[in-house]
This record gives sequence, structure tokens and C-alpha cells, in this order.
Amino acid sequence: MTTYVYGIARRGHGRLPEQMGGIGDPPRPVRTVEQGELVALVSDAPEELKPKRRDLLAHQNVLAEAGAGGPVLPMRFGGVSTDDEAVRAVLAEHEERYLERLQALDGKVEYNVKATHDEEAVLHQVLADNAELRALSEANRKSGGGTYEDKLRLGERIAAAVQQRERTDAALVEQALRDAAEEQCPGPQSTGWLANISFLVPRESADEFIATVDRVRAQAPHLVVQVHGPLPPYSFTG
Amino acid sequence: MTVVPAQQGGSGGTSGLYDVLELVLDRGLVIDAFVRVSLVGIEILKIDIRVVVASVDTYLRFAEACNRLDLEAGPHRNPGLPDLVGDVTESGARGKTKGALSGAAQTISDAFKEARDDGERETKPRARRTTSRRKEEQE
Repeated sequence: MTTYVYGIARRGHGRLPEQMGGIGDPPRPVRTVEQGELVALVSDAPEELKPKRRDLLAHQNVLAEAGAGGPVLPMRFGGVSTDDEAVRAVLAEHEERYLERLQALDGKVEYNVKATHDEEAVLHQVLADNAELRALSEANRKSGGGTYEDKLRLGERIAAAVQQRERTDAALVEQALRDAAEEQCPGPQSTGWLANISFLVPRESADEFIATVDRVRAQAPHLVVQVHGPLPPYSFTG
Repeated sequence: MTVVPAQQGGSGGTSGLYDVLELVLDRGLVIDAFVRVSLVGIEILKIDIRVVVASVDTYLRFAEACNRLDLEAGPHRNPGLPDLVGDVTESGARGKTKGALSGAAQTISDAFKEARDDGERETKPRARRTTSRRKEEQE
């Protein structure tokens, strides 16, 4: 029976969600594997583990629950060990490093911030900032929208201006929030965002961090800013 | 404030899986000695956004959008005033706003939403427009 690992905590964590339902169908009960100063949060792995919604959610829920009771190093989804003994061997081998990370992450949570443009608002800005684009747009409008070539020409120029603004606004978001967090880390590459950044924030400063996000929203109403958290510190385990 | 309590309670809540999916799949500790589950079918959703931007579709869409834009407010007006972007300014973001450059792209979460209705199916990329999903729930 292979062993699925959710995360690693200190042996003295005290509030690990044992017996909680984990991955699999039916959900395999969560249990612990102890070694030295460390404990791994595990369950039996199903025969065929695939990145399905149910199992991704179980992974996230187990970690959220464990993280509420003390520091936990979250594993990336889908790490399977041959057995409990192999998990112990890994804990023994890296004990010092894991303890150091757990220490560093104690009392801290991750907030992931994603920003996009409100399309209408950013187009308005781009036109407001550039008389030439405004004139082009106006000329198209007067001629009933312009020819296909006219539209392409304008659209290409607009797209370039919007991209330029994406870069500026990404920097704006990053700089505005940097000081409200202890650490930051670019989010994984994914499309559809002008900024996707994770921040490590002490639990007691969480309200302050959220307030800073709200200030960014107020100052830059052409931005749509989403905050997700508090999360297990996925981006700060390294 | 987009913090939703965890289903199991506790202060380790999150905003819903689709909002943090890429963190669960791309971040977190990896142990070399362990076998990794194949993520085929998820990773290919990472489209390079520049491909999307430099497209005729985007250009035409922008041109059309500018055509409809009300610039009567004048170039020197502070852009993004409430009447221009009404629902964006309401406590963050609610409604059907779209990133200007993500029109033809598909985000991971978008594909994931489709799979939500079918827990037994793996996520598959589909060509459809992105709609940003967001929640406004107070803790």
C-alpha cells in the first residue's frame, strides 16, 4: 500500500486533523507518520491517483485544517511514497531543513493576489492618455466603425498600449503590497492575469494586508484585484 | 474581502479550489524520492498570453470596444470613475469583468470550473472565453 503525503509538521503540532477524510473515493482517513522531531500527515494512496477535483480539494482541505492549528509545510499535490517507512527515511534525512522551514513559517500564512484590468476602464485610460489613438478611434467611429484594416491598425496599437499598462500596473500592485508582507514570490505562470503574486504574511498582520489591498483597489479602480487566503504557505516551502 | 472559511472550519480557509489550483499543483514541497502523479491534461492549459494578445481577434475586439466607448467624459477626466466602471469599485470586484488581454485565453481555473460538474472527469482544455470568477464573502 503506497502512502500519500499532504504535509510535514513538528511532532508537537498537537492539532493535526487525524481521521479527517483525505484523498480517494471513499476518502482515505488521514493519519500521521512520526520520525524524530517531525510528523508527516499522510493517508493510504488510492490505486490510481489522478489530479481530479475531489482529490485536489481533499489535499487543500487537509492542509488548511492542519495549518489552522500550527505551522505545516504543504506538499505539492500528488507526492506518493512507496510506504510509511520511506516517508520516515525522508523525514530523517531532511530533518534539519524541515525544522528550519517550519520555524520560519510559524504563524504565517500565504495570500495570493491576482490582478486583471477591467477592459472598459483600461481602454478608456489608454484612449484618454493618447491623443493619437483617440483620433484614430474617432475616425473609425465616424466612418461607421472603419474598414477591416482600420480596425486592425487601431486594435494593434490599443493592444500594445494595454500591454504597456499591464506592465506598469503589475509593478504598481507589487510595490503597493510588498511592504505589507514579509516575503513575496511570483505566482506560477498562468494566463489571464497582469499580476499573480503570493505574499507571506504573519497571521496577526492579515487584516493590515487586506486593508492595503483595499487601498490599491481604491487608488486604481481600473484594476480588478482578487485576494485568496489565508492559504497554506505553498509558495514558501523552499 | 475574498476569504471564505474552510469547509471544515478553522482559520485556514481558502477562496475555493479553482482560485488556488495552480498553487496546489505548482507550489509546495516536492520530495525527490516520491513518485509524482502525472498532471497531463492540466499543464497544457498554460497558454502563453502573448500568443493571445498578438492576435487579429484581440485587435478587432479592442477596435470594436473603443468604438462603443463613451469618451464624452473627455480625455482629462480621471479614468475609472464610478459611473464608468460601476461594479468594479464596489468593494473590490464583482460582476463580469474581464482582463482586457485574456479574452481568448483559457485560465486553469476556467477549465477547472467545467470539470467541477463532473468529479470523475479529468480537466480538459476547451476553447472558450475566460470569465473571472470571484467571491465576496465575509469571514
